[in-house]
Amino acid sequence: MSTALPDAIGTRRLSQGITATWWYTATGVLAIQAIVVFMWVTVFANLGHGTGAVVVIVLGGLAWLASSVVLLVQYRHRDDTAGPVAGWRGTLLPIAIAIVFGVLSGVISGMWVFGALPIAQSLMLLNWPRGVRLRLVIVSMMILAALWFIDGRDALGHQDIEVIRSWWLFGVLAVGMPSMTVVSLWWWDVLVTLDRARAAEARLGATQERLRVATDVHDLQGHHLQVIALQLELTERLFTKDPDAALEQLRLARASVIEARQGTRDLAMRFRGVPLPDEIANAVDLLRAAGTSAEASLSSDADQAPASVLGPVIRETTTNVLRHGGGRWARLSLVRQDGTWRYEIVNDAASDSSPEGDGSGLDGVTRRVAEAGGEVRIERARGDFHVIATVPDAADGAHVVPGGNR
Amino acid sequence: MIRVLLADDEAMIRSALAALLRLEDDIDVVAECADGLQAVAMAEKLEPDICLLDLEMPGLDGVEVAERLSRSIAARCVVVTRHARPGVLRRALASGVAGFLPKSRGADEVAEVIRRVAAGARYVDPEVAADALSDERSPLTDRELDVLRTGRRGETTGQIAKTLSLAPGTVRNHISAILAKLHVPTRQQAVLIAEERGWI
Repeated sequence: MSTALPDAIGTRRLSQGITATWWYTATGVLAIQAIVVFMWVTVFANLGHGTGAVVVIVLGGLAWLASSVVLLVQYRHRDDTAGPVAGWRGTLLPIAIAIVFGVLSGVISGMWVFGALPIAQSLMLLNWPRGVRLRLVIVSMMILAALWFIDGRDALGHQDIEVIRSWWLFGVLAVGMPSMTVVSLWWWDVLVTLDRARAAEARLGATQERLRVATDVHDLQGHHLQVIALQLELTERLFTKDPDAALEQLRLARASVIEARQGTRDLAMRFRGVPLPDEIANAVDLLRAAGTSAEASLSSDADQAPASVLGPVIRETTTNVLRHGGGRWARLSLVRQDGTWRYEIVNDAASDSSPEGDGSGLDGVTRRVAEAGGEVRIERARGDFHVIATVPDAADGAHVVPGGNR
Repeated sequence: MIRVLLADDEAMIRSALAALLRLEDDIDVVAECADGLQAVAMAEKLEPDICLLDLEMPGLDGVEVAERLSRSIAARCVVVTRHARPGVLRRALASGVAGFLPKSRGADEVAEVIRRVAAGARYVDPEVAADALSDERSPLTDRELDVLRTGRRGETTGQIAKTLSLAPGTVRNHISAILAKLHVPTRQQAVLIAEERGWI
């Protein structure tokens, strides 16, 4: 329970990391597209097309980039069960924009590859089923390469080496773009899968823990139920012959029930437990809810205090204050002094008549504190009721420092 | 004679406990109720000394019954529960419940608590208190918990705002603070977490 918060922070950090990776992926894909559009514009300008044509290509290219953003967002939030088409606005409109842009630039330039490239690229961004995307990317690369070759027959035979070189460069970019896009998206998919696996692992851990507890509870209850059944059976047999013995068996059966309950509770409590500062804050909350004005002062390192020893003291003393009721105020403190933890609770003892019962509870915790090398003092001064527990620093767990503070 | 009203929706437990309590010389069970609304009606009619209320009941829960009764009659209320959620103990103490104990206590112990509470004392069972103290702390403020509690059945932001006399914008701010603190995307999930951990 106490580890829940760090876990939550870790999870958030991871999910931030995943979001960042998504931005790298999306920006990478869009950057390639932007470079290609830019090259296009320069090629068109160099080829001596009119300003009108260049403006059309610039605007069309921007619209295509925007439509790719829509497709990428779709991809990020896609559902595994959905097909590649996610509705009119999400898919068909961006694809239509890509087609229009492709046709426009193809017609203006008179080159096939300019027409095919935007459409091929946008198709890569759809959520294709497993395997389909691989085939698509291979086919579109072959088509693009063929179109590039057809379009470039003149350019490749050109005398000017610069023309040949830039045509080659464009070819590599154009044919490579769909595959680069697909590799980026594939990498993203791998990451998402890993993240899911991690989440599933965490859930599995929790489930296994629960299963273990369930098994423990089952064993414990099974044992006690059998004992109780036998005791009741014996009671039934003895009922007429020996009523006193029957009564004794009934009492034993009741004791077994209590034992079973306590065992189950101990099992459940094994997974409970919060740091002492939280426990004291809970105590203050409860006391305030009960109408007592309560305050707590803690040293900053109070979370290192031995919870297994002081926890029961805090519970017992708070319960006593709550139970007596009618108290106006209570003060709790937990501080470290010279290698010793000191927990103190003071309240106005509203009733002098120390009600029976709380003594035994305090006796129990006093014994436990003594076992850890500490002591519990109870003081009454001017109507105030003090309980002070002191425990040496290293008292949590098995090892007590030899010759430690007593 | 201490006059006791008993409310529990589990008939077997109710009748067994009533029979056991009637065996005590100084306790008389004057009414047995199967749900919260019935308990309120009977208590207002009979004005018992002590109301022994199960926490988990259809209609009104034990703490809600105690809250209503505290406004109308002088009866002192003892709430009994199987799952002692810490948030419930806080709510119970705040609404003036005089006793709180787990259902697992035997009838003799229950009778003892009834006597103590009838004598004017308050009784909080150590087991319940231990549960409440060793529980994970809620990161939410009281106001945020109010918002979650008011909206736990899917009420709209407007309805929550009206019930709590807040501006809708304030409610929305509280809700986004809650979602951020609990790291969940929806109010529904926040309500589930809060209910699971006994905060509301």
